[in-house]
Amino acid sequence: MIRAVETDVAATDADSSVAVKTIRVRVLRQDAPGRESYWERHDVPYEPNMNIISVLQKIAAKATSADGRAVPPVAWDCSCLEEVCGSCTMLVNGRTRMACSALVDKLLVENADEIVIEPMTKFPVVRDLVVDRRRLFRSLERVKAWVPVDGSYDQGPGPRISPKEQEDAYPLSTCISCGCCLEACPQFTKIEVIRRDDESQEEFDARRKAAFDKGFLGAHAISQAMLFNAHPTGGMIADERLKAVTSQGGIQMCGNAQNCVAVCPKQIPLTRSIARAGRAATLWAIKRLFDR
Amino acid sequence: MSTNPASGPESIDSFFSRHQFLIYRLFSLSGLIPVGAFLVVHLLTNASVLFGPESFQSRVDLIHSLQPILPFVEWAFIFLPMLFHASVGFAIIAGGLPNVGSYPYVGNVRYTLQRATGMIAFAFILWHVWQLHSLGKSFGGGAFKPEQATSTAATAIQSAPVAILYAIGVLSAVFHFANGLWTLGITWGIWTSPAAMRRANWVSIVVGVALAAAGLGGLAGMLTTDVDEAERIESKLHPKNDAAAQDGR
Amino acid sequence: MSQPRVLVIGGGLAGLSATMRLAELGIGVDLVSLVPVKRSHSVCAQGGINSVNSLTRQQGDSEWKHFDDTVYGGDFLQHQPPVKEMAEWGPRIIDLMDRLGVPFNRTPEGFRDQRRFGGTLYKRTAFAGATTGQQLLYALDEQVRRYEVEGKVKKWEFWDFLEPVLDESGRCRGAICQDLVTMQFRAFPADAVILASGGCGLLYGRSTMSMVCTGSAVSRAYQSGAAYGNGEFIQVHPTAIPGADKLRLMSESARGEGGRVWVPRIPQDSRDPRQIPEAERCYFLEERYPKYGNLVPRDIATREIFDICTNEGLSVEKDRLCVYLDLTHLSRETLDRKLGGILEIYEKFQGVDPRSVPMKIFPAVHYSMGGLWVDYERSGSGGMVEGSPRNHQTTIPGLYAIGECDYQYHGANRLGANSLLSCIFSGLFVAPSVISSFDLARGWGGGGHSGQVFERATGRQEERHESFLSRRGGRENPYSLHGELGDIMTRAATVVRRNDQLRKAYDDVCRLEERWRECSLSDTGNWTNQNVVFTKSLGDMFPIAKVILKGALLRDECRGAHYKPEFAMPGIAATSPDEQRREAEAWCDRFERNTAKWLKSSIAKVGPDGHPEISYEDVDSSLIPPRPRLYGLVGAELIEEVWKERQAARTPASAEAAGRQPMTVGAG
Repeated sequence: MIRAVETDVAATDADSSVAVKTIRVRVLRQDAPGRESYWERHDVPYEPNMNIISVLQKIAAKATSADGRAVPPVAWDCSCLEEVCGSCTMLVNGRTRMACSALVDKLLVENADEIVIEPMTKFPVVRDLVVDRRRLFRSLERVKAWVPVDGSYDQGPGPRISPKEQEDAYPLSTCISCGCCLEACPQFTKIEVIRRDDESQEEFDARRKAAFDKGFLGAHAISQAMLFNAHPTGGMIADERLKAVTSQGGIQMCGNAQNCVAVCPKQIPLTRSIARAGRAATLWAIKRLFDR
Repeated sequence: MSTNPASGPESIDSFFSRHQFLIYRLFSLSGLIPVGAFLVVHLLTNASVLFGPESFQSRVDLIHSLQPILPFVEWAFIFLPMLFHASVGFAIIAGGLPNVGSYPYVGNVRYTLQRATGMIAFAFILWHVWQLHSLGKSFGGGAFKPEQATSTAATAIQSAPVAILYAIGVLSAVFHFANGLWTLGITWGIWTSPAAMRRANWVSIVVGVALAAAGLGGLAGMLTTDVDEAERIESKLHPKNDAAAQDGR
Repeated sequence: MSQPRVLVIGGGLAGLSATMRLAELGIGVDLVSLVPVKRSHSVCAQGGINSVNSLTRQQGDSEWKHFDDTVYGGDFLQHQPPVKEMAEWGPRIIDLMDRLGVPFNRTPEGFRDQRRFGGTLYKRTAFAGATTGQQLLYALDEQVRRYEVEGKVKKWEFWDFLEPVLDESGRCRGAICQDLVTMQFRAFPADAVILASGGCGLLYGRSTMSMVCTGSAVSRAYQSGAAYGNGEFIQVHPTAIPGADKLRLMSESARGEGGRVWVPRIPQDSRDPRQIPEAERCYFLEERYPKYGNLVPRDIATREIFDICTNEGLSVEKDRLCVYLDLTHLSRETLDRKLGGILEIYEKFQGVDPRSVPMKIFPAVHYSMGGLWVDYERSGSGGMVEGSPRNHQTTIPGLYAIGECDYQYHGANRLGANSLLSCIFSGLFVAPSVISSFDLARGWGGGGHSGQVFERATGRQEERHESFLSRRGGRENPYSLHGELGDIMTRAATVVRRNDQLRKAYDDVCRLEERWRECSLSDTGNWTNQNVVFTKSLGDMFPIAKVILKGALLRDECRGAHYKPEFAMPGIAATSPDEQRREAEAWCDRFERNTAKWLKSSIAKVGPDGHPEISYEDVDSSLIPPRPRLYGLVGAELIEEVWKERQAARTPASAEAAGRQPMTVGAG
């Protein structure tokens, strides 16, 4: 058996003192939406300090599978490579994470035999590891995740904010829209809308949007709603956000599995946001019951 | 916003969609009140058998003193809420995709167990009602006689397979209730911070352990009951029992 | 098209702020981006955004001083009016971002907290944790999303800009773009096109930049005739974490918050850095620059780190060049609060906790001061005329450039925390200019432009695309070629530049470009084909690489980030006062000669043979006369004294210079 890491792995295994050259990678590929997915094996030369991005870069450059066939390079999304743009979410060894911060040495300690890479399962596959996450951004529209300012002309500084409020808000504001929380959520299920032949792009967009709007918002959007409701100016439309958060696909869909917070690469206190949204929704519903 | 007076499955679907939040909140509430509350009362009542058939019988008598409105109370506060809780619960289960294999975190295990125990508890309750409640009589069950509470209940349970199924059913219901108590606190926003959630978790563990003890205690009490002895005591408390039983009511 | 419509290429800070302002002014915007705009490279900016504020104002700071620091930091290679305008907008921009909900760090009283950044003596930098760029970008992304919901903005994410479409008169009338998913082409007619496509770090293979920073959009504009200014000025960030796929930035704020840079005095001391006593540590920045200490401007920090490793052989490691950046003397609590985000990056990618172990860092390519040449109209007060259609317009009328992809604000070297400001400022400022250009566009009119011109351009792009897909039998692999290009550029055109190396690098790049024509694709399909997209953008890297190399080769001086040891001006070596005085005089003479010869922007235009043709443009330095940058030079005080005497003697002359008008391209 080939061993990839000389240090940790080999140290525990007396008879494999050979330093190792090859990482075995298995990738779940899919040529286009609606096509069958298939597994493909790749051998990648080992280097210290690699991450999954550099593994995929080597696969792309080589464009030859482990059995020696010339294959098109695996497609994947990435940009910043420092876990702040949110592009490169995928399943590595079965778990959702950012490919850039998935370090090969650590993965090989988990499983020295191979690394398994798959696309996210809760979003439609575009190609190979590229998925269509526009539903995630649609959720931000649903909860009006913005401060409703009058405009961008000079009106003086923003409201005074205490350090405590800032420290509360800041972590929520570091959400990179990667979708890990949605991928791991057992309550968040895939919505894939296929364009009909007789449908214009606009009709298709509208139909897809309507389908998205019935689905679960997800932890990220609920957390953003709480972020903006806590802001002095953002809170001026708190009711509108709570309306969105309590409409179909809203916070009630949460099943409290709390996977979101466990897989969030930015360690955002998502369950706290969800519970706060729950409280706000409770109070808002009661208020509405008696106020209207 | 005005609603269209449409009919058919689409309007039902749209009714549920429009009121999804309300329905889910009522679902959550119904798990505590009245269904959960009933579970607590029921298990504590059962546990009283540990203090002897008299003790149990007197509590059953107290409940049955509600006759003739008892059926109404049962339907309004127990059966219907339970059916509501169960049907929404099944819809929720059908809409989820448990993934505890990929994400074996404690919270996720509890999420999965909550659904599993809900289904087990519901199946158990159906069987339990058929077996003991008077509703089951038309279907060959309904063995429980309120005037002979301990003896009829004990007779029904005193076989190993039945006892094991009861233990599973009771523990499922207790887990479902105790864990549900914790998630209810999150759902309604009673505990919001991770620290508060941890504290609340301890509370739900204590509640769960206590209820499990009561439930298993009641079960053990039934299993160790001397049925003949119990019947003697019951006939002393309710002298007309024999005659009533022979009538077949 | 009765309703005016603007096409914005790129959704980073600059593109989003332009989009927001345009939408607010009632203009429909098509926003094209390689990635969902929330994932743009601006998210990587960590440290902060500069502006004068009420606190620094009371310590003697002013917009003028911010302007002066920027110009001085940039070694005077900027037209001064746009920089002055930007510095004046600074406070308003911070206020705006504050209103948009950016979670800036706060003082106990609830005001925005400020930190000090390199190249200034004031605490001028507002920051939001260690992710200021991300926070600013999100605030703008949110506003643009709001306009998108209202139907004023249409986003085209995962789309690639292929070429600007020019009419017969040479005016930009829109662009051809390609859907990176379906690979379909689409013509975008527009009343103006704004390029906000960011930097070109991928030219250097690995850099601190994101994988989308290929510079291809800018290159395509350049190849269509737009001029490119100051290409040779590439900022190398002093502190980055060396990595296999990317060099991750360690923000200047680590030094701003008190981080100290050092190496062991014993070369490659194998002891745990924490066990090395103070006396055996060389805090070389503090020793050489007592006034600024670890916060010297970036070019100087970079060169010193480079120097201590390569020339003095004091690199911490033998096989890999690096120095220590030490934060371990600061409390964990402070570090987590002020630098949490960036320290997590280090921990995440290196597996070491920088709160307890000094970090290992080395310089990396970080920012391009150069970019598309853009115009401006000088106002009477020495700023820019707001709403002038000339502002930020490239040499192609109707084609505008803002943000990192223009050359306007940072001269020869960018000050830390000024890029976020220049991006937002240019985005906001360009909007009214673009709107006033609509009238000109109509004036030049004739409806003839739309149909055929777009059809022809689309056809050209489709044909080009097909020719890539149908290539057979080429031997070259685009990814390996990219690696080679990166090596060439990193060796020749980063910290230290030598003419022989630059000449050779230029030839090597030309050869690489020839080999690129032999690239064969491993993916010939027509669905989400990243292979062909990469190959195309690789091809577009060569023209810009040549601009950088040729510009660097021709510029025989040291200025900002451009450093040629051959032309360095050493400090005073003499010991006797008279000798010293004479050397200082000679130094100043040489400085003046150099300024007269080289205080010019290099302007590259693509020649008929594909090679860049470089001309020089005088710099409008009428507001602040150029003065020597003397950070850490031996005898700096004396040189400064001599310099001041000369300036004093020449006051009337400089007043005259203040009335001079800005020059246009080629006028030098």
